[in-house]
Amino acid sequence: MNAEPPRPLLSMRGVVKRFGGVQALRGVDFDLRRGEIHALLGENGAGKSTLMNILSGVIEPDGGEMRIEGVATRFSDPRAAQAAGVATIFQELDLVPGLDVTANLFLGREPTRAGVLDRGAMRRAARERLAAVGADIDVDQPVGELSVGRRQMVAVAKALTYASRILVMDEPTAALTAAEVDRLFGVMREIAARGVGIVYISHRLEEVPRVADRVTVLRDGLVAGVAPASAPQSELVRLLVGRPLAELYPKRGAQAGETVLKLERARFAPRRGRAGWQAPDDVSLEVRAGEIVGLAGIMGAGRTELLTALYGAAGPGRWSGVVQIEGRPARLASIRAARGDGVGLVTDDRRGSGLLLRDSVGRNLVLTVLERVSPFFLMSRAKESTLARQAIQAFDVRPPQPEAIVGALSGGNQQKVVLAKEVLGEPRLLLLDEPTRGVDVGAKGEIYARIRTLAERGLGVLIASSEMPELLGLCDRVVVLRKGRTVAEFAGGADEHAVLAAAEQSEDTSP
Amino acid sequence: MNDAAPMRAAPAAPPATARRFDAFAIAVRFQSVIGLILVTLGGIVFSPRRHGHILFLAPDNMANIVRAVSETGIIAVGMTFVIITAGIDLSVGALLSLCSVLTATIMTSGGYGLAPTILFVLACGTAFGGAQGLISNRFRLEPFIVTLAGLQVARGLALVISGNQYINISYGQGPGLAPPVFAILGDRLFDNTVPVATLVFVVVAAIATFTLNFTRFGRYVFAVGGNERAARLSGVPVSLVKVSVYAITGLVSGIAGVVHAGQFNFGSANDGTGYELTAIASVVIGGTSLFGGSGSMIGTVAGAVMLGALANILQLNNVNAALQLLATGAIIVLAAVLQSLVRRREGLGR
Repeated sequence: MNAEPPRPLLSMRGVVKRFGGVQALRGVDFDLRRGEIHALLGENGAGKSTLMNILSGVIEPDGGEMRIEGVATRFSDPRAAQAAGVATIFQELDLVPGLDVTANLFLGREPTRAGVLDRGAMRRAARERLAAVGADIDVDQPVGELSVGRRQMVAVAKALTYASRILVMDEPTAALTAAEVDRLFGVMREIAARGVGIVYISHRLEEVPRVADRVTVLRDGLVAGVAPASAPQSELVRLLVGRPLAELYPKRGAQAGETVLKLERARFAPRRGRAGWQAPDDVSLEVRAGEIVGLAGIMGAGRTELLTALYGAAGPGRWSGVVQIEGRPARLASIRAARGDGVGLVTDDRRGSGLLLRDSVGRNLVLTVLERVSPFFLMSRAKESTLARQAIQAFDVRPPQPEAIVGALSGGNQQKVVLAKEVLGEPRLLLLDEPTRGVDVGAKGEIYARIRTLAERGLGVLIASSEMPELLGLCDRVVVLRKGRTVAEFAGGADEHAVLAAAEQSEDTSP
Repeated sequence: MNDAAPMRAAPAAPPATARRFDAFAIAVRFQSVIGLILVTLGGIVFSPRRHGHILFLAPDNMANIVRAVSETGIIAVGMTFVIITAGIDLSVGALLSLCSVLTATIMTSGGYGLAPTILFVLACGTAFGGAQGLISNRFRLEPFIVTLAGLQVARGLALVISGNQYINISYGQGPGLAPPVFAILGDRLFDNTVPVATLVFVVVAAIATFTLNFTRFGRYVFAVGGNERAARLSGVPVSLVKVSVYAITGLVSGIAGVVHAGQFNFGSANDGTGYELTAIASVVIGGTSLFGGSGSMIGTVAGAVMLGALANILQLNNVNAALQLLATGAIIVLAAVLQSLVRRREGLGR
C-alpha cells in the first residue's frame, strides 16, 4: 500500500437510503484510497448494491454526503458519475450481445469524423484497450458469441475507457474459471497501480485476501466492520452474519442405497445443434440413493447441458447408450416424462427460469404439485396452504409467510423456495445446477444442510457447480466433465488442484 | 466503525423480506374499482338534471350503460386470460362480427333449432381462436401477428358469408324465421330493468372469475405469464395453456357475436370494429399487466363498466366523440403509469 494520502479518493459519510418501507442504508461510511482495491462484502440485502448504485449515479441518496478528492459530489445519473471518472461494471454486464466488441467498447461515445463513425480509429483503440487488460479478443466478433469470461474482460476494458478515478466491480468473478479469475486479478492490480481506486464486491470470501487491500463489511444497511484483507476468514464471516458460523458443510452421509441414475457411455444428440451448447457426448456416472454426486468442469464443459438433457428440457433430441433411472431404461424425452420418472431439476437461474417473481411464495411452492392440490381441477386452498407451510418450515424460508412476494425475498431465501418447490414434487433423483449461486454465506450453509438431509432421506442428488470448494466439501463423489465427456472421478474432500487439473486439461492429451 | 453497534440497537426498520402492500399499492390494485366509483360520482355531479332528477342515475340510463358494455365486457373477460399469459388477441372484434353473421345466417336458413345453432357458432368461435393459438405456438409467432392476420381472415369470412349485406333476423315459426325466444337477448328482465345481454356478461364474468382464481387452469395461466420457462420446468403444460387461452377468447367472441345478433336482430360483417381495443383497454385499466403474470378479473369487469359509464356521462353532456376518445386515452395512460409506479416500489423493475 502507498502511504495514506491527506484526502481519501472517495469518502462517503452517513449515507441513508430508503425504499418504500425498507431502510436499505442506515448511515453508512465508506472510504476508498488512491490505488486501493477495497472489497465490499455483505449478505444479500445488506446494502452493498444500494451503496454502489449511489456511487455510480443509478440512484440518489436520501441523506449523507459523498466527497471525491475532498469535493462534495452528488450524481443525478450514471453519465454524471462517468464524467467524474467513476465507472461501474454491473453483474449483468451492460453489453449489447448483437453488437461487436468494438461497437460495445465505444457505445454512446463513438468517435466520429465529420459526423460519420470512424470505424478505423475505433478498431485501433479497441485493440489497444483490450491489450491493456491483457485480453486477446477479436474486436469484430459479436459480444454474444464470446464466453462469459471474455465478456467480463470486454466489460472491464469498456469501463476503463472512462474510469479515470474509481472503478466499481460487482461480483466480477461469479462466472469465471480459475484461470480467468487469475487473469482478472492481475489486471485489477495493474489498474490499481495506476492510482485508480477499485471497489470490489464479491460473495467469495476466499478471494478477498488474494486481491484486496481492505475490506468493508455491510450488514443490515450498516457498516459491520472495516478490516485489513489479511484478516482471518472466520473473522470476516463473523462480521458478515453477525455470529460465528458453524461448520459450513454438513457431515457426509450414511450408506448409499440403490442406484437411482446410471449413465454408461451415454450421449445426447439434439435434433438441432446450437452454437455454444455442449451436448453430453460420452458420459458414464452413477448416482445412488442417499448420495450427493458433484459435477465439476470448466465453463462450457457441458454441466448445465447434461442436467438439462437428463431433465428432458434440452429440446428435441435423443439419448443413446445406457440411461437408466432406478434400474429401468429411461428415454427422458420431455420434461413431463422425466418428472414422471422421478427426476427433478433446480436451475442455475432462479430469477430467469426458477420463480414467478411477482407471485407469492405459496403459489410458487405448489407449482410442481398443482395436480395434487387441485382434485377435479379445483384448487384446494387448504391443501395448498398446508403444503406451502410445511415446505416453508422445512426449508426455513424467511419471512415464513406464504403470502410474501418471492421477488422481494433475499437471494438465499429465493433459492430455498426454488429448492423446496422441486422437493415438493417428490423426485427420487434431484439435479441441482449451481445451487448456491449469488447466495450469501449464511444461507449457503443452510442450503447445504438441507441438501444433505434430502440425501439422507433417500434421494439421489447430482450437483453441478463452478465452485470447487463447494463440490469437494459437500459431495460424496465428484465427477469431472470436459467437453461433454466424463474424464475423471474423485472422492469428496479430494485435492482441489487435482480436480482442477483434470477439468482444465487441454484436449490434445485426451484420447 | 465503532458507531455501528449503538446504531444497530436503534428501532429496527422492517426487514427487506417482509415487504407488504402499502395503501398506495392496494389502491392501485383496485384502481379500476376506485376509478369506477370516481366516474360514478363524477357522473352524479356532472349529470344534466330534468325536473330535479339526475339523468345519469335514471334506471333507463343505468340499464343503457351496462347493456352497452356487455359485448366488449364479455370479450374483455376472455382477453384477461390471454393478457395474463403475456399474449394479446386482436381478432376478437372481427370474430364477433363473423359469429353474428353465422348466427343470423343459420337462424334464417331455418330448421336447425336454437340450441344447436348457438352451440355451433360458439364451437366455430372457439375453433377459430384455438387455431390462432396453435399457429402462434407451433411456429413460435408473436400472437400480435397471428391474431392481426386472424382479424383480417375473420372479417373476410364474414364479408363472404354475408355478401356484405345485413342479414336480418325475423322471428316466428316456419322456414327462414328464427325462434322468437332468441329475441330475448334484446330485452330487459326483472320489471324491465336488467338487460339480458348484461346478464350474459355477468354469468360469463362469474365463470371466468371462478376459473381464474379457483381452478388449476387459472394457476397455470398465471404461471405461464409470470415466467414461462419456470412454468415449463415445473411441469406446467405450457403449450396447452397458451392454445387454450386463445380458444377462450374465441369462445367469448362467439358468445358476444350471438348476443350481438340477438340484441340487434341482424348479423353484419362491419360490426365490432375496434372492440379489440376497447377490450384491451378494459383489461389494462383493470390492473392486468401487459407483461403477464398478474391480473384481476374483477378489475377487468370494473374497467369495462367504467369506460362505459365515462362514455355515457360525456354523451349526456353532449361532449363530442373526439373528446371522448381523448378522455379514454388519458385514462389508459394513467392506469398504466400507476401500475408502473407500483412495480418500481416493489423493486421489481420496469
